[in-house]
Amino acid sequence: MIKIVKRDQPSRAIFFFTPVLAIFLTLVSGGLIFFILGFKPFEALKFFFIIPIADKYGFSELLLKATPLCLIAIGLSFCFKSNNWNIGAEGQLTFGAIVSGGVALLFYEQEGFYILPIVILAGAIGGMLYASIPAILKTYFNTNEILVSLMLVYVSKLILDYLVVGPWSNPEGFNFPETRQFSDSAKLPLLFEGLRIHAGIFLALAAVIVSWFVFYKTYLGFQMKVSGFSLKTAKYAGYKGKKMIILVFLISGACAGLAGVGEITGPIGQLHREISPDYGFTAIIVAFLGRLHPVGIIFASLVVAITYLGAETAQIFMQIPKYTGQVFQGMILFFLLASDYLLFFKIKFIGSKK
Amino acid sequence: MNTNLKISNVTKIYPGCVANDNVSLEFNSGKIYALLGENGAGKSTLVKILSGVIIPDEGEIYLNKNNLKLNSPLDAKKNDIGMVFQHFNLFETLSVFENLIIDSDEKRESLREKIDSIMKKYNFSIDLDIPVLNLSAGQKQKVEIIRCLIRNPKVLIMDEPTSVLTEQETSELFLSLKKFSEEGILIIYITHKLKEVMQLCDEVAVMRRGKLVSVSEIKNENIESLANKMVGQNLKTIKKKKAKTSSDQLIKITNLNFTSDDPFETNLMDINFSVNRGECFGIAGISGNGQSELFQVLSGEIISEKEAIEFNNNYIGDLNPQERREYLMAFSPEDRLEQAAIPQMKIFENVALNNFKSSNFFNNGLINENKIKEHSKKIISDFNVNTDNIELKSQFLSGGNLQKLIIGRELITSPDLLICFNPTWGLDVGAINYIHETLIKINEQNKSIILISTDTDELLKLSDKISVIHKGKLSKIMNAEEVTSEKLGILMGGAN
Repeated sequence: MIKIVKRDQPSRAIFFFTPVLAIFLTLVSGGLIFFILGFKPFEALKFFFIIPIADKYGFSELLLKATPLCLIAIGLSFCFKSNNWNIGAEGQLTFGAIVSGGVALLFYEQEGFYILPIVILAGAIGGMLYASIPAILKTYFNTNEILVSLMLVYVSKLILDYLVVGPWSNPEGFNFPETRQFSDSAKLPLLFEGLRIHAGIFLALAAVIVSWFVFYKTYLGFQMKVSGFSLKTAKYAGYKGKKMIILVFLISGACAGLAGVGEITGPIGQLHREISPDYGFTAIIVAFLGRLHPVGIIFASLVVAITYLGAETAQIFMQIPKYTGQVFQGMILFFLLASDYLLFFKIKFIGSKK
Repeated sequence: MNTNLKISNVTKIYPGCVANDNVSLEFNSGKIYALLGENGAGKSTLVKILSGVIIPDEGEIYLNKNNLKLNSPLDAKKNDIGMVFQHFNLFETLSVFENLIIDSDEKRESLREKIDSIMKKYNFSIDLDIPVLNLSAGQKQKVEIIRCLIRNPKVLIMDEPTSVLTEQETSELFLSLKKFSEEGILIIYITHKLKEVMQLCDEVAVMRRGKLVSVSEIKNENIESLANKMVGQNLKTIKKKKAKTSSDQLIKITNLNFTSDDPFETNLMDINFSVNRGECFGIAGISGNGQSELFQVLSGEIISEKEAIEFNNNYIGDLNPQERREYLMAFSPEDRLEQAAIPQMKIFENVALNNFKSSNFFNNGLINENKIKEHSKKIISDFNVNTDNIELKSQFLSGGNLQKLIIGRELITSPDLLICFNPTWGLDVGAINYIHETLIKINEQNKSIILISTDTDELLKLSDKISVIHKGKLSKIMNAEEVTSEKLGILMGGAN
């Protein structure tokens, strides 16, 4: 017989085990889905998860996709740790990209070492500005940040759409919905000849280190931890709740904005309609899969990045729509939430003796 | 047709507390019964057992000699037991009619007729087709009552029904309840308000600390006798040595008001008092009369007008708790596990919640872990916290040890004023004594205390001056020697 018993306290081992379990269950269910679709499950999973990263180019692509996911998820972990539900990172990414792209276009046909730092900074500021909207509305007008940040995503995408087909579109671009190419000084340098991985990865790594330091070594991190456990306690301790809400939104917006910079000043080097395949939304999964822990987020971003690559490979070699990738991302989140049940309950197998 | 409801030897034990200790009671229709007791006396548990929300560990319930097995609220409904909870269970955006039919399988048309006839019979006037959110609290309660009446209940249980009603709505409710009783519905009325019991009920059962203390007819009781039974006769008169109270005023509250947006909170009206150095000012009252709001206003969790609170010749009404700590105030809230401490965090992390500039827990925005740990060790040894591991998560401390840690944390800065709210709630006798001794010691060091407590014994033991809070208003301030628990009980019940 199976009996479910409440745990006295969530076990730490289980805390890190459940994400692994979630990934395992995702693979099993993924295999099952492939089987139902008429593919050999193991072969399909191999196409999905092994082939894409089997060579140098594939590995560089993996890091390329993991970079924005990691960066955004780190930013989001500031919000989520302190009970602020910013789910509009996609919008902050887009707006950051718009601002930094705009600045990069200003410097079009100019060269200089100072251009890239300005472009990067502009992206961070853009993301912060956009994130400050839900933050200020939440603190001063009691709006729900989930709704506001989510709806602003669509606003930013429409602004981007308008700019690339309208005022900012390339005059020599035959009406393609894209801007001019940025000058080389406004682009993040590529790290290796022939690979697309670029210097943006250092931004992500820096964010990981800084966030670890802030979480565990600073007063701000301590306040976030307390607020995350109990807002009542935070109020009793006298923490300035409003300031902190705005601060974590700004941090998270800056990270998303930087991810946006990476997307447009990397290999592509221009603004266009589809700058992000929903990195901002997927990063929410990454943040939780990584248990809001900086190191956990690195691993989680790599795992989730594979689903992007795998989906493309599967589309090419197996003629499966690339949206399968989103199915896998959804399954990871689904199983993660489900297996979190094990944090609070344990399953006991009681031998049925006759 | 007569209804007879019998509770026989019901016991319900929660970890660390016996909520119902072998309770037996019998009710007959035609009368209105009051179930009276302070918060935590076990009356809510008993009522939840009757309505199937909680399953008792032991004991039986009989309705007209039939043994009832109430495993869920649905079972209670099937057995004609209706319950109106203190907090409404209505869907705000649905219409009144939709709310009423939501758990019924009868046809809409016949239900509509039934509801109309019920409303006509009891003189209820509610528009069935407007959304519930447009109704007043009194009307919402009527909707809940109609929902019970649709099922022709034999028993109707009302849990603290007047807590959100105006005076007028309350008297309307009482009229309806009397009418139901005449129709043969057995009514059980749960409250801690003595006046209402005297007005409405025929018989009263008093509970205290999980036990049934007495069952008697109202005509043999008065507010005073009921208050005594409810609070418990206090024969011990262990008092602290009368301190030489200085006339040196430390804190002065002037015309303090607080109006809440939340209907379940109590508004504070025109609070005035002052506390001298070395004095303990006790605030008695039945819980839910504004104590929690008063504590929050005093601690700075709720900001008031700057001039309303004068501390050490500074106006501090607009400061938050952290800023008030810098003026040497300290606070020990009622809720140890959800507010005063975070059980999932380690002991030394909880110590850092009382962040005081001169304690240097945080330097330039960085955590100074060594300093915090040093402080924590001192608290643990100075205040007899039964552990030597400051890395322990505080959820593993017993209630008494956690409270010692919290009081120790607040006192380590040697504040001029400690404000505590039910500091010994739920603790065992040893821990209670320790906390009491500590509080007496504070007064001896010429520091002051504001003690908000629902425990009358504790207040009489520790206070120099006492006032009673009732519906957000403070009674006159009395010297502790002149006060008896009977007198407090009467004031707590709202009499003058």
